[in-house]
Amino acid sequence: MTRLLYVQGVPIWRNVVALRWIVQIVSAVVVLSTIALFLLNVAREIEARDIPFGFTFVNRAAQIPIGEAVIPYQPSDSYWYGLVVAGLNTVRASVLGVILATAIGILVGVARLSPNWLLSRIALAYIEVFRNIPLIVQLLFWLTIVLTLPRVVEGYVIADAIFINNSGLFLPWFEAQAGFWPWALITAIGVALAVYAFRRLSRREIETGQPSYPLLAASVIAVGLSLVALLILGPLAIDIPQIEGRFGRLQGGAQLSGSFMALLVGLVIYTSAFIAEIVRAGIQSVGKGQTEAARSVGLSGMLTLRHVTFPQALRVIIPPLISQFLNLTKNSSLAAAIGYPDLVSVANTMTQIAPAISLFMIVMVSYLSMSLLYSLLGNLYNRMIRFKGA
Amino acid sequence: MTARAAPAPLPPATTVGLLGWLRQNLFSSRGNGAVTVVLAVVLVWFVFNLGSWVFVEADWTVIISRAPLYIVGLYPYEGYWRLCICLLLISVLLGMAWRAWPNAARRFAFGFGAVMLFVGVFPHEMAPDHRALLLLNLPAIGLGYVLTPRPADVSPGRLEALAGSALSPALERAAIFSTPRRKVIAALVALVLTMILILGIAGVPGLDPVNPQDLGGLMINLLLAFFGIVCSLPIGIGLALGRRSSLPILKVACVIFIEVIRGVPLITLLFMSRHILPLTFPEDLNIDRVYLAGITITIFSSAYMAENVRGGMAAVHPGQAEAARALGLRDWQNTLLITLPQGLRNIIPAIVGQFISLFKDTSLVYFIGMLDLVEMGRVSVQGNQEFIDNGREVYLFIALVFWVFCFSMSFISRRIEGVLGVGRR
Repeated sequence: MTRLLYVQGVPIWRNVVALRWIVQIVSAVVVLSTIALFLLNVAREIEARDIPFGFTFVNRAAQIPIGEAVIPYQPSDSYWYGLVVAGLNTVRASVLGVILATAIGILVGVARLSPNWLLSRIALAYIEVFRNIPLIVQLLFWLTIVLTLPRVVEGYVIADAIFINNSGLFLPWFEAQAGFWPWALITAIGVALAVYAFRRLSRREIETGQPSYPLLAASVIAVGLSLVALLILGPLAIDIPQIEGRFGRLQGGAQLSGSFMALLVGLVIYTSAFIAEIVRAGIQSVGKGQTEAARSVGLSGMLTLRHVTFPQALRVIIPPLISQFLNLTKNSSLAAAIGYPDLVSVANTMTQIAPAISLFMIVMVSYLSMSLLYSLLGNLYNRMIRFKGA
Repeated sequence: MTARAAPAPLPPATTVGLLGWLRQNLFSSRGNGAVTVVLAVVLVWFVFNLGSWVFVEADWTVIISRAPLYIVGLYPYEGYWRLCICLLLISVLLGMAWRAWPNAARRFAFGFGAVMLFVGVFPHEMAPDHRALLLLNLPAIGLGYVLTPRPADVSPGRLEALAGSALSPALERAAIFSTPRRKVIAALVALVLTMILILGIAGVPGLDPVNPQDLGGLMINLLLAFFGIVCSLPIGIGLALGRRSSLPILKVACVIFIEVIRGVPLITLLFMSRHILPLTFPEDLNIDRVYLAGITITIFSSAYMAENVRGGMAAVHPGQAEAARALGLRDWQNTLLITLPQGLRNIIPAIVGQFISLFKDTSLVYFIGMLDLVEMGRVSVQGNQEFIDNGREVYLFIALVFWVFCFSMSFISRRIEGVLGVGRR
């Protein structure tokens, strides 16, 4: 160490190694002391101004109602459990939103590239309209639309099973019966078999150039097995919502509240506009020469799409797509503005009694872990495509 | 006898002109034609319904009767003339921009002038002097135009050609904003004047200070987004340099800061700042929530800005840094003089994009109790028995305002890319 820092005839202010060490140490001291100063200051003020802080509250009863919940909840449950319920509401909106936004985004993105001028222009208008309006304005607008729907008794009914009215959307849903778990097991096995068949057939397709229909075969295996088991075991009953009482309360089925519908519609439309642009850019990024080369070595149109165009477009599409998923998840926090009990909304209500700073630290950590999950996904994907040799 | 070449046969009528275009783009195949017909029917139905709603059913009194609230919030009426003068300053700058980058800014200047003309002429309650000040924006745009010299690579416009050589010496003498430095000074002076006019100075007659809480409406969205971007640029550059640096603790601190800010929703940051930021100031200093919002939005924006800057610097060709080293530049000189400037030029479109998304995000400041455009709309719908059924009108109006701003900015950004030659050099 001294040998490194002291070189004969070189003064210390000209010694690169010594200088680097000094800069490292000085920067470390500055950064750490700034952070420490900030935290100490805040901690002191919290104590001095008698601001409630701490995490002991999480086990006390929350005493607040949560409008809708995926798992059973009552106000006597603890804060901790209430936050989990709210977090699951966030997850519910995000997962449904991600799936629908991706589907619509792909459709619009492909429509944008359609040779049909009218279709392409309508897709362009969709993209430019919805991505240039703040999400919160869109959410408030959809909420207004939902709230002006007729009441339950006068609401729209489709096929005596789907109800649309100002308390939301009510769909028939499944109810698990005795044979549910065996059926789930068989379905899981079917999916595993389908993945295996898909890989096997894909490889054959690439090696021999013979069309082997891997996607078709895989879907037939998975869906077929699941359906057969469904018919034999009968694990699911269908639960149809019904209007009860004179004032019209809908019971049973899947109930999607009005604010949830407004949130979902807003999130999906807003995000799908961004996804459409990503999909368009991704498809356009694959050079025309690629398609032409594939056709000239004798690949058919379908095979070209599946093995040449699509993998290359996906490479461009997936990373920004994942960041859009993260954006959608973060944006779902705007639910607080339209009364859907998501994480932020519920935590905000809880601050009336519980320590606000601690609560929002928990909320921020939850969002951070979700975003870490997404970046993990992105890194996994990046590693996957690197393996095949970029 | 010389043989004349027979005139080339005309292409069939179905491949050229309107008919050809229709055939190629709308009816190229049977399926395509069916799609076109279905879409056209749906489109006509939609446009007809929207039009009849907008012009017949909708009741726009909720907008017209409270227009100032949406635009400037609770700003005192006595100060409106000051805001009008701010608009005049913006007009002059727009005129300058129109002259300097005709491709990027012309339509924007036209659009701004058109809006001013519309508001100035539209029959609604408005003091005549405010009306006059709004209409003055049109000559103000012209003034900015005349005060800026024609760039060398732009050919003279039709008007100039008409005026001919008689006017050109006068025009040349009028063009005082001839160097980049003068243009920057003009912009800075306009900026400072705008801030003074909006906030006022204690003790100066006519410039009574305005309570920052009374700033609201569209004005606060624009101000927050503008200052958020301007202030976040230096912080973002610092964070990006920190993230690129070889000092481990500095690097880790920057990475954690950037990733934490980018990983949580803005709404939670606003909430935290409402509770934590006041703690870092002395207790008796009652810091206004406008500044809290400004600080939070700057912090939020600087994390994204840092990633933009980092991306821009990463896109600079490594040969640049190698050449700089070969010339004997030190590491810090290399970063500050070679890589950073080129990286910053790369990210100008990204900065405009970030400005757009920041502008949209400023609609979240309602969460710390500010009356921005969106919250104003919500209050006038939900807090008013009279307008309780006018939600659609209000939100569509607000959506239109945001849309016009965001769309025109993204339009400009595409044009700026062309002007600066990003990707061409």
